[in-house]
This record gives sequence, structure tokens and C-alpha cells, in this order.
Amino acid sequence: MNRSGPDTAGAAATAHPDHVLPPAEAMLWARDLVKVHHGAETATHAVRHVDLRVDRGEFVAIMGPSGAGKSTLLHLLGGLDRPDSGRIWLDGQRVDGLTEARWSLLRRRTVGIVFQFFNLVTNMTAADNVELPALLAGMSPKQARTRREELFAELDLDDRAGSTPAALSGGEQQRVALARALVNEPGLLLADEPTGNLDSRNTRDVLRLLARYHARGQTILLVTHDARVASSADRVISLYDGEIADDSALHAPSASPTTVADVLRLKG
Amino acid sequence: MRALLRWVRADLRAHRGQATLMVLVTAVIAVSLILANALLQDAANPWQRIFLQSRGAHVWIHMRPGADTAPLSRLDGVTGVAGPYRTAPADLVRGTEKVGLELRAAGAEPPSVARPLVRSGRWLDPARPDSIVLEGSLAHAMRVGVGNTVTVHGRDGATRPMRVLGIADSADQGSYPDWTPGLGWVLPSALDRVVPEPVHTQQVIGLRLRDPGAADFTAQQVVTTLGSGQVTQVTTWQQVRSAMGQDNRLLGLLLGVFGLVALVAAALAMAGAAGSRVLVQVRDIAVLKTIGFTPAQVVRLFLYEHTALALAGMVLGAGAASLFGPLLPGALGEAMGLWQAEPAHAGALAATGAGVVLSIALATVLPAWRAGRIPAAPTVRANHPASGISRLARLALLLKLPPALALGSRAAFHRPLRAGLTVARLAIPIMMITVALGSWATLDGFQDHPRQLGLAASLTARPSGMGDAEARRLLTRQPEVAAAYPGVETPALVPGETTTITVRALGTADHPYPFALAAGHLIRDEDEAVAGQGALDLLHARVGEWVRVMAGGTPHILHIVGRDIEPDHNGEMLSVELGALAGPGGPPKTQYDALVLRPGADPKAVRADLIAASHGRLDVRSVANPADRLGMVRVVVVGLVGVLTLIGLAELVTATASGLRDHIRDLGVLRAMGLTPRQVTAIIVTSTGLLAMVAVLVGTGLGVLLSDRLINMEGQASGVGAGIARMPAPETLLLAGAVAVAVAACVSVVPATRATRARITTVLSASRT
Repeated sequence: MNRSGPDTAGAAATAHPDHVLPPAEAMLWARDLVKVHHGAETATHAVRHVDLRVDRGEFVAIMGPSGAGKSTLLHLLGGLDRPDSGRIWLDGQRVDGLTEARWSLLRRRTVGIVFQFFNLVTNMTAADNVELPALLAGMSPKQARTRREELFAELDLDDRAGSTPAALSGGEQQRVALARALVNEPGLLLADEPTGNLDSRNTRDVLRLLARYHARGQTILLVTHDARVASSADRVISLYDGEIADDSALHAPSASPTTVADVLRLKG
Repeated sequence: MRALLRWVRADLRAHRGQATLMVLVTAVIAVSLILANALLQDAANPWQRIFLQSRGAHVWIHMRPGADTAPLSRLDGVTGVAGPYRTAPADLVRGTEKVGLELRAAGAEPPSVARPLVRSGRWLDPARPDSIVLEGSLAHAMRVGVGNTVTVHGRDGATRPMRVLGIADSADQGSYPDWTPGLGWVLPSALDRVVPEPVHTQQVIGLRLRDPGAADFTAQQVVTTLGSGQVTQVTTWQQVRSAMGQDNRLLGLLLGVFGLVALVAAALAMAGAAGSRVLVQVRDIAVLKTIGFTPAQVVRLFLYEHTALALAGMVLGAGAASLFGPLLPGALGEAMGLWQAEPAHAGALAATGAGVVLSIALATVLPAWRAGRIPAAPTVRANHPASGISRLARLALLLKLPPALALGSRAAFHRPLRAGLTVARLAIPIMMITVALGSWATLDGFQDHPRQLGLAASLTARPSGMGDAEARRLLTRQPEVAAAYPGVETPALVPGETTTITVRALGTADHPYPFALAAGHLIRDEDEAVAGQGALDLLHARVGEWVRVMAGGTPHILHIVGRDIEPDHNGEMLSVELGALAGPGGPPKTQYDALVLRPGADPKAVRADLIAASHGRLDVRSVANPADRLGMVRVVVVGLVGVLTLIGLAELVTATASGLRDHIRDLGVLRAMGLTPRQVTAIIVTSTGLLAMVAVLVGTGLGVLLSDRLINMEGQASGVGAGIARMPAPETLLLAGAVAVAVAACVSVVPATRATRARITTVLSASRT
């Protein structure tokens, strides 16, 4: 079951002047990405000439130690930061030159993001946090509410709808964040150390949820420094000093629920 | 849009206190601007209304009895004539009160030009010869109603009781007591009985013009046609209008100036508050962007929210002013009531409201735009490189001050630009509070040191049935009277000019009256004079120049040697010594004595003593003190200080919040290093207190300068003259400053305590994002 965004892959790609077309099955395709952080005195090469392809339905983990450039790469792919050079296609559409506003519109439907520190809007209730992107994407308040209730029921958050983020535990906050990222059924879910701030029980819960959505066909790109977390993915890419050092498939590319379950069993 | 609303609602819920404060500040500013508007309208309008309804005359001319008025109606541009009426000076007595009255003989039919508008009762009736119709403001001041009986004293001794038949509004002259004498209409036969001698009467005629702007020119033509010897006084409609609106105009201006400055201060406070909220919510804004808010939507979010708050405040303020404004006591309530009856009222109200909302919305544009520029990645927030210890902090360390003080001063000023902006925003309300205190001190000056402000004499005594010599003896025997200065007042024409000023001869060269001089020196010679600002403006003269005036048909050439502060007659007063008005028969007959009392004497008690000692044959009157009429200004000043304090509070809340936001991580580190929570609280309180202290110094300094300028400007414009401004007492300023700093410290205690109670780890980890 493919969940692609509103823009179809072909149209945007053929319009590209370089005549390089992204592979039809690629949800995300990045070529030669470079990002340099300019500090006060030194320049840090966070991402060096990275090529990356994530196919639809794939669950990819990017692993590496602190400072390897993982989060920067994820931010580039989600449009939260701009690459210095390189090209990115998302769901067949060239996106690296989009304005901030166009990226915002794209993120509403095509990209959901989950962060290490949950990043819920502090003033809003859990329910509002999830319904807000749904309303932004054009759902009616009623539709948004129904969709949010479905997600909360699934994520075991039914009784937390009216709580503010400050009143929620870390695990609950991360589940709300996950609900928020998934409420518009995005083509791509980006997760930046989603378990980095959680204890082992909550880590297990979140990974189980990711696996569940992956099993339904959700494309996931996860960044982590934890090998055990990375092992729940189909494919693990190792990043060192901003360069891809290794790219290996853990399982057959066609992900199936049984393989993830196997991993979880191994971990457990 | 729905998403925007959802966020705004949640945000308002989370910041209820701050939102309420913003709404309140806006409401109070809207109220003061609306009241200012009403007062300014009212200042111009009562005259306008009466003038239109009564088909008023644009120029009024008082003449000697025999003058031929027929040519006047044929003057070019004259479309109608009121009168000529015979008129005579008299006194109106009711109980122990006695005031000057101009009796005007009118027919049984009110005239068609400058028709007195009978407000209650009815017009003169030949069947009731001993009746009088009084002008409204005079009747109000004397507390006389229709059906009451008053006594009218003629100047040559005749006394007649008269029944008040009606009370009428008139645009012929200003309202009593600003314009004296008051006005009363009687039948010609009644005038003859009160003033049997025709030599004591005058003629008055009113001319209605096609072009009101030609009033000055027409007045000049009248003087040329009749000859300056025949004309005793000329008044134009501009003089009447400005005299009628004086008090309310001053109040309206005061409210207007303060309202506008308060609006600017509030707009800045709102901008500061919005800016600080953007800083505080950097992370939330970044999150909003990651979930799909476009930069433009983020900008709109902040704009809409603050505009909505301003709108709510404006509606609240406008509603409150409209509902409760007319119920206010005194001039304010009256002006609001009248204003609401005006057809233009709705438009003016809407324009004021729109102005308030628009200014606040405009002030929010910059912080909103900055919110739109915040990057989407929530974790991208460069840590500011730790700045060095500021000079102030180094000084504090050098002096071995407690760590809280040293670190607090570092926290306050380690970002000079932001500290400067905070100080500037706080200093504006403090500056205006200082100006308000200056206005208060000036009023106090009028009351406590009337001598310095042109009110040396607090009583005037006029013999009424006793000889001058006997009256003088009585006055000198009264121990509370320090000095009595004989005086004469007479209207004077300025050749080549069109209006009248009052020439007052007071005191003698040996015994000069203590005029309150703002420039030049006192009168030393017969041909020397001191002038009020209003007179200088009318004569287009300056101190040191010579002027020529016609008083009592005699030309006088006078050397203006000084400018005195002249609270009466719009300052249109030229003062000379008694000998200056001397004719061939010696010095003029004195009309009254101006009494300077000993310090501490109570004018009311002295007045009662003198009346008792003379068995009622001495007419003793109190000199009106402008401070008594301007009592409303004090109410306004108190209200304004309240508004400005509110704005200052809003500013302080912002300053504390953004200060905390800046230093929260540092504070966590300091606590980890071993500072007690109390010390950390002290750091925050010190930092806010220091900012407030600098703002107090800057604001008070600027306020003192501005207050002096503003009040003197108003003094000059109103004719009283520059030099009336008084500084607030240093101890008042010191107290106000101390209160401001103390309030600042108190306001910051609560958030500071809350911040220090948070667990160190929470503080440190929260600040990573």
C-alpha cells in the first residue's frame, strides 16, 4: 500500500533541466548533498557529498556517533535546513530549491517529523497538537478530531487528550508527537533520535509502533546513534564525519511484518 | 485559518494574565483618547451651536450714547444688525454675593440677529416691567433660577428688585465668570429706572457678516466710520469662541497629549511584549514550522493575536467610555453627554478606535516579522558565546559586592542593545508621569504661591455706599491686609488694531503693585507698562517697545518694560501705574483696591471681616484662581498616572520574562555551581531593578525638561505667559523613582522565584532545545 503525496512523481521530474529522473520507486532521492556549518572561527563539514535513496515502504536507519552529521542530513531531507549544494527529490518532485513557504506546504502532507525532545507546542493540549497539522492540511475540525481519536486509540492515549505536554510523561509525549507526524498520512516519516530521551520500556513501545506503521507500508527514515534501535530497520546506513561509510540491508528489501517481529524478538 | 485560530486560542489561554493586561492597557488608552476627543469637541462646540442657532453677530461694538449707528448697517459685507441696544454697567446682587452685570435694553420680541435662546422660562414681557432675563452661565454661577428675585444696583445708586423671567443662551460674549461682566436683558423702561442718567449708558451693536473671516477688517472699518473717540470696545467672534472653550480646551489638550504619548508608549510596550513572546516561544514557532506553518502564517499568527487583543481592549474602552462617560462628574461627564448627541460622534469614535487598533497592530509588525524568520529546525539555536563580564559587573566585583549584585548587574547589561531598548520603553511612561507631576506642581504653585503667578492680591474691595477715604481707613485698620493698591480698569483700543485690551492702572510709582514678572522690570515711571503674553500677542509687541493705545478717548503712549504672568482675561492686559491714566483733572477715580494679604491669612475670613466692619458698604470679592477652575486637571493627572503605571507594569513583565529567557541556562549553571535559590532570585531581581533604575533616571530627567517646556508652551498659548511651570519637588521625584524601582523588583520576584524552584536538570536540559 503506497501512500504518496498529492504530487505525482513523473510530472515534476520530467520538468527538471538536468534530465536526471529519480527512480520511480524512490520516495526520497538525494544526490551529492553538502552542508557546511560556519562557526565563529571554524567551518564544520557536517554533510559531505552524500547520495541517498529511500524507496517507498522502506525503513532505513542512519547510524553514527555524535557529530557525524546525522541530524543535519535529516534536517536537509525534511527541508528544515538548506543544503549548500546537491539535489533532493521527494516523491518524484525536485525539492532542494523550494522556498521555505513551499517546504511548509509540502511538509503538511508529505513529510512527518518526530524529534528526540518531542517538540510539542507547549501551550496546546495533546489533542490540539495533533489536530493542528490536520487543520492546516485542510481537514474540517470534525475530520481532524475523528482522525486524532483514531490515532489516540491506537497509541493508547485516549485519556490524555486534554493534557498539556508538561503533564505528560516522556513516552506519552513521544507517542503524541508520533500521532502528530502521522495525522496527515505523510509519504515519509523522518525520526530524529526518537528514543534518545526515553527509558528502555518506552523505547521498545515506540519502536513497536514504528514497526507497526512500517508494516502498513509507511516509509521511515530514522536517525540514531544506538545500534539496537537501528537494528529494527530494514537497512542501516552508517555515517562518519558527514560521509556514508557503510550501507547494508539487514533484511530483504521487501519488508514484512515477520522480519521486524523477528528483530524485536531478538532484542527482547 | 482554523489552525491559526486554534493556536491563538491556546496561546491566549496559556498567557491569560499578559493578555488581560494588554486588553486593559488598550482599553484605558481608548478611554482617555475618547474623553480627550469629547472635551476638544466640546471646547469648540457649545459656542458654535449657540452661534448657529441664534444667528450670532460676528462683531460687537460698544459706543458712546450719541454715536450714529446708521452707517454701520451699510458697511460692505454686513448682512444683519443686532441692536443698537442701550446698555449700562450694573451689579447683580443675590444674598451676600455681588457680581458685575451688563444690562442690555431689549424689546418684547427677541431680535432676529443674535437672538438670545431662551433655555427656560420666557422672554421679556411688557406686562411685567420689573423682570430680567439672565444669560445662562451667569445664572448658573449665581445659582439663580426662573422665578427667583435678584437685586440690580445701578452705578449711580438706584436699586431695584427684579424677577428672573427667563434664562437664555447667547453667543454674544464668553461664559461667566471667564468673561465679565455677565449679561442680562431688561425692557428699556427698566433700564431707565436702574440707570436714570443717560451719561452712564452706552450703545452696543452687533454686526453679522457675509464672510466671518472679515471680522477684523470690519471692526477696523467701524472704528474709522465712527471715529475712535466714539468706540469704547470691539469684540470679534474669535475672541468669544476662544474664551468660551478655554478650560475644556486645556483639559482636552492635556488628555490628548497624554493619550497620544500613552498610545505610543503602549504600542512600544505591545511591541516589546510581542517581541519577548517571540523570543520565549522560539522553540514553539520552530515546531509550528516543522508541522507545516508557512513563514507568512507565523507572521499572521502574531499579528492577528495582538490585533485581536487591541480590538478587544478598544471595544471595551469605547463601550465603557460611551456607557459611563456621561455619568462622570464635572466637565468630563457634561462633555461626553454633549458629544454623544453630536451627529459626527459615531465617526469620531470609530476613527479613534481604529487609530488605537492600527497603531498597536503596526507596532506588532516587526516582532511578528521576526517570528516569521525563525528557522524551522527546533534544535538549531546557536549558543551565544559567553560575553565577558561587563564593566559595571567588574566594578561590582572590585567593590566586593555580594555575588547577586555583581551577577545581577552583568545580567542586566550584558546585551547592551536589548537593555537599551528596555530602558527606553520603560523611560517613556516614567517621563510622562514626571510631566503629569509637573502639571500637578504647577497647579499647586497657583494655590500655594499665588504671588509668583500673578495673583498677589487675593481680594478686591470696592466702596459701595461709602467714601473712598473711609474705605481706605477701614482697609488699613484690618491687620490681615498687608497692602491695598488702588486700581482702575478700562478697555482700550489699539489704533490700527481691531480689538480691545484691558488697561489696568494699579498701584503708584512710589508704591508699585508686585506684578509677577517673567521678563523685564517693574513699573518705575508714568509712561511705563507691563503686559501679559496675551496683550503682547495682540499688540504684536515685545518687551522694550513703545505702544500707543486709546483709553477713555485719550491716547496713551506707553513703554512696555516687562512681561508679567497674567492669569486673567487670557492675558490681554496692559498694566500701568495710576498716574499713567491721569487726565487734566488729576489721577482717575479709583474703582477698587487690590488687597494683598499677609502670608497665611484666609481670604474668605478677611472678606467676611471686611464686609462686617463696613456694614455691607464695602463690596469685597475674591480673585478667581485658575487652579480652582482647573481642579479637573488633577483628576485627569491621577487617571493618566494610572494608565502610564499600567503601561510601565506591562513593560516590566516583558523585561523580566525576556531577561529570564536569556539567562535561564546561566542560572541553572550558577545553581549547579552552588548559589542558593535565594541568591539566584536576588540576581534576577537585581537585574530588573537596575534596568528600572536607569530608566527612572533617564525618564525623570527627560520628563523634567519636557514638563517645563510643555507647560510654558501651554501658558504662552493661553495668554497667561511662559514662566508658570513649576518643577515637581525633588522629594516627590525621588519617592516616585523609588516606588518605580521597588515595583520593578516586586514584579520580578514571582517569575524569579518560579524559575529558581525548577529542578536544575530540567532547566539545563530544557535550554538545550
